Amino acid sequence: MPSLYVHVPFCFQKCDYCAFYSHSLIDSPKDFISVYLEGLEIEMAKMQKDAPQGVSSLFIGGGTPTVLKETDLERLLKMIQRYFPMDLGVEQTMEGNPGTITEEKAKLIRSQGINRFSLGIQSFNDQLLNAVGRIHTAKQAREAIRRLREAGFKNLNLDLMFGLPGQTMELWQASLEEALSYSPEHLSLYGLMLEEETPLYERYAGKTSGERPTGAVQVDLLPDGDLQAEMYEWAVMRLREAGYRQYETSNFARPGYECQHNLGYWRGADYIGLGPGGVSCLNRVRWKNIEEVHAYDNLLRKGQSPLDELGKEVLSLRECMAERMILGLRLEEGVNFKTFEKDFGADLRDIYRSVLERYKNEDVFIIVKGDYLCLNPKYAFVANSILQEFV
Amino acid sequence: MAQASQLIRNFSIIAHIDHGKSTLADRLIEYTGALSKREMEAQVLDSMDLERERGITIKLQAVRLNYQAHDGKIYELNLIDTPGHVDFTYEVSRSLAACEGALLVVDSVQGIEAQTLANVYLALDNNLELISVINKIDLPSAEPERVKQEIEDVIGLDASEAILASAKTGVGIEEILERIVAMVPPPKGDDEAPLKALIFDSKFDAYKGAISYVRIVEGRVTKGTTMKMMSSGKTFEVTEVGVFAPSMRIVEELRAGQVGFICASIKNVKDTQVGDTITDADNPADKALPGYRKATPMVFCGLYPVEASDYNRLRDSLEKLHLNDASLIFEPETSIALGFGFRCGFLGLLHMEIIQERLEREYDLNLITTAPSVIYKVTTLKGEVLNIDNPSNLPTVDQIVSIEEPIVNATILVPSEYVGAIMELNQEKRGTYSAMDYVSKSRVKLIYELPLSEIVFDYFDQLKSRTKGYASLDYELSGYKETDLVKIDVLLNGEMVDALSFIVHRAKSYNRGRKLVEKLRGIIPRQMFEIPIQSVIGNKVIARETVNAMRKDVLSKCYGGDISRKRKLLEKQKAGKKRMKQVGSVEIPQDAFMAVLQIED
Repeated sequence: MPSLYVHVPFCFQKCDYCAFYSHSLIDSPKDFISVYLEGLEIEMAKMQKDAPQGVSSLFIGGGTPTVLKETDLERLLKMIQRYFPMDLGVEQTMEGNPGTITEEKAKLIRSQGINRFSLGIQSFNDQLLNAVGRIHTAKQAREAIRRLREAGFKNLNLDLMFGLPGQTMELWQASLEEALSYSPEHLSLYGLMLEEETPLYERYAGKTSGERPTGAVQVDLLPDGDLQAEMYEWAVMRLREAGYRQYETSNFARPGYECQHNLGYWRGADYIGLGPGGVSCLNRVRWKNIEEVHAYDNLLRKGQSPLDELGKEVLSLRECMAERMILGLRLEEGVNFKTFEKDFGADLRDIYRSVLERYKNEDVFIIVKGDYLCLNPKYAFVANSILQEFV
Repeated sequence: MAQASQLIRNFSIIAHIDHGKSTLADRLIEYTGALSKREMEAQVLDSMDLERERGITIKLQAVRLNYQAHDGKIYELNLIDTPGHVDFTYEVSRSLAACEGALLVVDSVQGIEAQTLANVYLALDNNLELISVINKIDLPSAEPERVKQEIEDVIGLDASEAILASAKTGVGIEEILERIVAMVPPPKGDDEAPLKALIFDSKFDAYKGAISYVRIVEGRVTKGTTMKMMSSGKTFEVTEVGVFAPSMRIVEELRAGQVGFICASIKNVKDTQVGDTITDADNPADKALPGYRKATPMVFCGLYPVEASDYNRLRDSLEKLHLNDASLIFEPETSIALGFGFRCGFLGLLHMEIIQERLEREYDLNLITTAPSVIYKVTTLKGEVLNIDNPSNLPTVDQIVSIEEPIVNATILVPSEYVGAIMELNQEKRGTYSAMDYVSKSRVKLIYELPLSEIVFDYFDQLKSRTKGYASLDYELSGYKETDLVKIDVLLNGEMVDALSFIVHRAKSYNRGRKLVEKLRGIIPRQMFEIPIQSVIGNKVIARETVNAMRKDVLSKCYGGDISRKRKLLEKQKAGKKRMKQVGSVEIPQDAFMAVLQIED
C-alpha cells in the first residue's frame, strides 16, 4: 500500500533557505488556488486506481498548506477523503506555519480527519526568524501550539532549526528547551543547509565566518560545521534525557509517535505525490509533476498526465538498493536484511561486502543488530562519508 | 648534382619562447605557397594541441619551401624547426647541426633572452651563418635600435643589416627569404661519397614504423638501400624516402644537402636516436658525424594510477608516448603508499609536465605524480656507488658514506635593477657565484653554479616572480658535488607515506619539513577521524600538524520528493573522493604529493 502526499505549492512568502517549489501568495493572481484545486481534483480521480487498497498514510505538505483560507482547506480535505478514504487510525499529517494558524482553521483541520500536525517553529527567537525570512514570530508560534492543542491535536510535531545565521549555542538551547516545555510528541531538528539558488546561499555561500556567533545576535555570522555538530550533539543528548527516541537522523519521538508517513520513505515503501511538483514512486518508477500551477492544471484538463518528462526515472535495481541503504541507514533501526532480500532477491551482505568489510574494521562505523544493519549513532552527523559508499 | 645542391638552403630559426618563431614560420610557408591560406591551420609547425596552447614547440618538425628568388632561380629552402626550451638543448643542437644557417629572431620589445643566447652559441659552435631578424616591429613599444645594439653588444654580431619584420603583418618576409638565399651557404657534401645522414628527429607512425628525419650530409639514399645506424650497428632496409612539402611526400632519392625522411619499418624510435648517423651498410662511411650522445634524463618522478586497475593502461600509454619520444624513460616501481606505478625520467621539468598532461588528456588517465627528484650518487659503507632517483630508496644514514648531487651551470639574463634579487635568490638556493657581465647598459648576465635539485624545486617560479618575469634562465649539467643532504619522511596517522619522502640540504631541512606539514594540513580534507601529520628525519620528529576530525557531513533531511536529488548528491561526493588516493586509512588528494614543491623557503 503506497502512502499519499499532497503538495500545496503556496506560501505567504518564501523563506530565504527554501529551495522547494512554491508560489508566494503576495504576488499571485486571485484565482490561483482554485485553478490548483481544480487540477488536483482531476489528478486525484486519475490516480485513485494506483492505490486500490487505499493509502497507508497521508501527508499534506508544501509550501504552507495552512495559507489556504478555510473554504479552500475544507474543499481540499474533503476531496482527499472522497478519493482516498482512510480509516480512523491512519496517520494523517498536515504541516503549517505558525503565522497562518487561526483557531477556526485548527478546528476545521482536526474535524476533517487530520490527526497529526507538524508545525514549522524553527526558532523561538524573533531576530533569528527574521534573519532567514520567516514570516512568523515566537509569540505566534506559542499561540499556534495552544490553538492546535485546543483543537484536539494529540500528535504534534515541532520543527526546529540549528545553525541559523547568528545563532549561538545558548540561543539554540533556549529554543529547544522552550519546545520541550510544550511536550510535543515529536520533534524534527534540522541543521541549516545552504541550498543553491536561495537568497541565503547568495548571502552566505563561500563565507565561512571562522568566528563563532556569541552573545548578542550577529546575523552576519553563520555557525560553522563544528558548531552545528555541537548543537546537534547537545540536542541528541538532551532529548534522550527527556524521553524521546532518536529514530532517524533528524527526528525524535515519544515511543509510539514516530511519523509513519516518513518511515515509509526511509524503509523504501511506494508513494504517490499529488499536486504541482509532487513526486511519486511506484514499482521502481519515479516521476515528478510539473511545478507551474497553470501548466499543471491545463494538462490535466486536457486529459493528459501532468508529469515533467525530465523528472521521470526508471530506477535500476542497483539504484533502488542504494536508496534503500542511504535512507535505511538514517534510521536508528537500520536496514532489514530480510526485507532487503525479499525486495531485491539478494543478500545485502553480499552486495556490499567490500564496503562492510572496510567499515567494520574502523572503529565500528556499521553495526549488525539481529536482522538489521545500522550506522553507529556516534557517526550520524558525518554519515555522508559512509553513505556514499553505497551509491 | 653538385649544381642542384647549389639551389638548396638549410636553415633553422632561433628564438625565445613568445618571440614569434612559429608565426614567422607560418608566414614563410604561406609566402612560398607550400600551403594555400585555406590549408593553413594557424601555426602549422606546432602540430600538437598542447604546443599550440602553450605557444611552444615541443617536438621539432621540418618543412621544405620552394622559393623563386629575385635572381629568377627556384631554391629549395629547408626549414628545420627547433624546440624553444632549455629541456631540449640537445635536440636543438642536432637540428642546428643539420643546417648551414639560422635566423636569429629577437623580439623588438623584449630583447635578447638567456635561451636565445644559449642557442646562438650552439649555432656558432656549428659554424652557422646567422641572419638577425628583429620581430614584432608593428608593436607600438618596439625599440629596434636598442635591440640592434643589444645584438651587437651581447652576441657580437653586426646588426646593422638586421631585418626589421613583423611575422604578424607580413612585413620583412620577402626580405628574409632573399637574405637566406644570399647569405646561407649552399650545402657542401659529395653525393658520390658513402652515405652519411644526420638524424635530427624521429617520429613513430603506426603504418610506417619509426621515421627518421634526416639531413643528408654526404652520399645518397633510395628505397632498397640497406641502412645502418652507426651508434648501434643495427641495419634496416629502406622502404621509403621523402621530403616535407610540408606534408610528407615520397621521392625517388635523397642526396647530399637535402632534408627529408627515411622509413625502414623500424619498430622502435629507440633505434632512430637523435644525433645518430645513418650510413649505407654496403658502402659504409668510416666515421660517424660528430656530436651524438644519448638523451639523458635529469628529472625523475613517480607516476601512479589513482585506480590500481589503470596500471596496465598507464604502461601502454607510456609505451605509446615513448614510441615518439626516446628521451622519456620509465620502469616499474612499487610504492607502499601508492601501489604499482612507474619511475619516469625526463629531460627537465617542462618535459615532465608535458608528458603528464598528455597522459591525462590524450589517454584519459587519472594520475598521481610524486614530487620530482634528481639523481643522487650515494657512496655506501660497502664501497658501492648507488644512483638514487627515488628518495624513498635512499639507504639509511648508517649505511651512507657520502651523497653527491648534480650541479648545473646556470646563465641568467636580467635587467640590471634585478641583479640584487637574483643574487639573493641564488644565495637561498645554495648557488655559487661564477661571473657577472654587463651585456648592455641595462642588462646583466649572471653565471652561477646551482644544485639541480634547487632548480627542480621552485627556482623558475621564484626567478620569474622576483623579476616580474624579466629574467631568463639557461643551464647545463656541469657535474656532481658532495653535499650534506638528508631525507625527510612524512607520517600520516602514524604511517610513513613513502611517496612523500624527499631529499633536502640539512640546513633547510627543518624549515621545509615544517612548511610541508603545514601545507599538507591545508590540502588533506577532514576525515572521520583526527589525522596527525609528522615530518621526520630518521626517527626524529621535526614537525607536526593535525587535521581535525570531520564533525559535520550529513543531509539534514531526506523525504520522498527529494530522494533522487540526494542520491545524486552522494554520487557526486563519491566521485570527488575517487580522485583521492586511499593510503592506509587516510584519503589523500593528488596534489598532496606535489605539495613539497609549493612551499617557499
